[in-house]
Amino acid sequence: MKGIESVRGYQEEIIEAIPSTIIVVDRNLEVLYANRNYYAKSVAKKERDVLGERLSRVIPPFLIEKTRIDDKIREVFLTGVPFDGDQLRYPGGMFYFYKIYPLKEGEACISKVVIFMENITELTRLEEELRDSYVKLENAYDELKENDEMKSEFISTASHELRTPITVINSYIEMFEEGMLGELGIVQREKIQIISSQIEHMIRLVEDMLDTSRLESRKLKIHKSSIKVDEIARKVLDELGRLAGLKEQAVSLTIEGPLSEIEGDGRRITQVFNNLLTNAIKYTHNKGKIDVIIRDEPYNVRVSIVDNGIGVAKKDQSKIFEKFFTGNGSSLTRESGRMGLGLAIAKGIVEAHKGRIWVESEIGKGSTFIFTLPKA
Amino acid sequence: MITVSSVAGNAGEQCDDLRGDMKLLVVDDAPEMLKAFRDILEAHGCEVYEAENGEEALTKYADMKPDVVLMDILMPRLDGISATKRIIQDDPLAKIIVISAVGKSGLEKECLVAGAKEFIVKPFKVKELLNSIDMLVKG
Repeated sequence: MKGIESVRGYQEEIIEAIPSTIIVVDRNLEVLYANRNYYAKSVAKKERDVLGERLSRVIPPFLIEKTRIDDKIREVFLTGVPFDGDQLRYPGGMFYFYKIYPLKEGEACISKVVIFMENITELTRLEEELRDSYVKLENAYDELKENDEMKSEFISTASHELRTPITVINSYIEMFEEGMLGELGIVQREKIQIISSQIEHMIRLVEDMLDTSRLESRKLKIHKSSIKVDEIARKVLDELGRLAGLKEQAVSLTIEGPLSEIEGDGRRITQVFNNLLTNAIKYTHNKGKIDVIIRDEPYNVRVSIVDNGIGVAKKDQSKIFEKFFTGNGSSLTRESGRMGLGLAIAKGIVEAHKGRIWVESEIGKGSTFIFTLPKA
Repeated sequence: MITVSSVAGNAGEQCDDLRGDMKLLVVDDAPEMLKAFRDILEAHGCEVYEAENGEEALTKYADMKPDVVLMDILMPRLDGISATKRIIQDDPLAKIIVISAVGKSGLEKECLVAGAKEFIVKPFKVKELLNSIDMLVKG
């Protein structure tokens, strides 16, 4: 025996045990039955005060007034369509939910209806609390977003504003270098060169700031074309070779297997190599070793940049990819010439290519920075 | 983008031949930038006129009929793109090079659509600027 058959004969116990109020009335709106929960809620009332009484004397009059429940019951009797429920507010902040169902006897003749009432005060309170928290959260998020946008906007404006003075300075440096402003002596020429390289550095910092604000506002555009990662690596290694040479570091490039071309932004991937290799050179001692290994994998081209430099502490390994992270807590002891943007930009670029970037490292032994670029 | 062609020997001397008597209108709201443009261009034998915003550029263009205009974008009163459009309206053959502090890719297209012949992002190389001017005048 399964389903409703198995509980036939227990209807009474089941109805009595239901934790909602159940009242059955006839066409005259006289009460035929009220379950245990009704008496539990209306302690003063005994069965003999309730049965045969009109509904309006059994439930509080204001309730009738407010809900027009009597009209609704008549409507159910008339149409045979259940009234599917409404919420009702009691004085004192109580909330009830009620439904009215027709009880058909034989040939669609409705002689009784059953009224279910449920206390939903707690539920309503929780719902309101939830809605409140949601609104608060949403406001906080909006505020945060606005602050963040303002900050990005500021960085963007600041770096754009810096471009004009840099251009003016750069123009005069070039005019000096070209001899357009008269011949320079050896000393002047040397000093102009220092100014020139410092301006170049400043331009890179400004570009990094702009890239960071582009990454934050998701305005970093990737212009894809077919690129050869090994060619990019070679080009960057050529350019940075002089820097590594100054520290007498041994730099090598290993290509494992024939490499697939990938769809990517050549200029941006060059930037990734540049940032990672500049770091490797910077954080590897004199006469240290830096190996670039590019490997063809089933779905990716994988680049590892392995150095035997100072390494990255475990606790910092995820933080180093955050912007403005420069290795130690104090902003006064940080190394000059860095804003802690290189790795954040590299991460942003790799992720914009749907690749991954991470570091494996042990303090004192060296670091391996790895990034993957998907083939398709 | 125009490739940088090599200018052999004394840069100043050779360029004088090409740019002698050339009239240029430079439009920028930064006076120092205007001064730098003037110094660069006068050293190459150009006649230089200045405008501090797009509106002034319109009047100066009509008065002086310059061979080439160097136009900034972000300026008070009238921006460089609108000014470019208005100049091209009156003189479809106007040769305008937009020189922007903003390097957004959409912006370059917008400038070219407005009628600019070239888009250069600050900071630029003086040689690159001079080459762009040469190519425009020759073409």
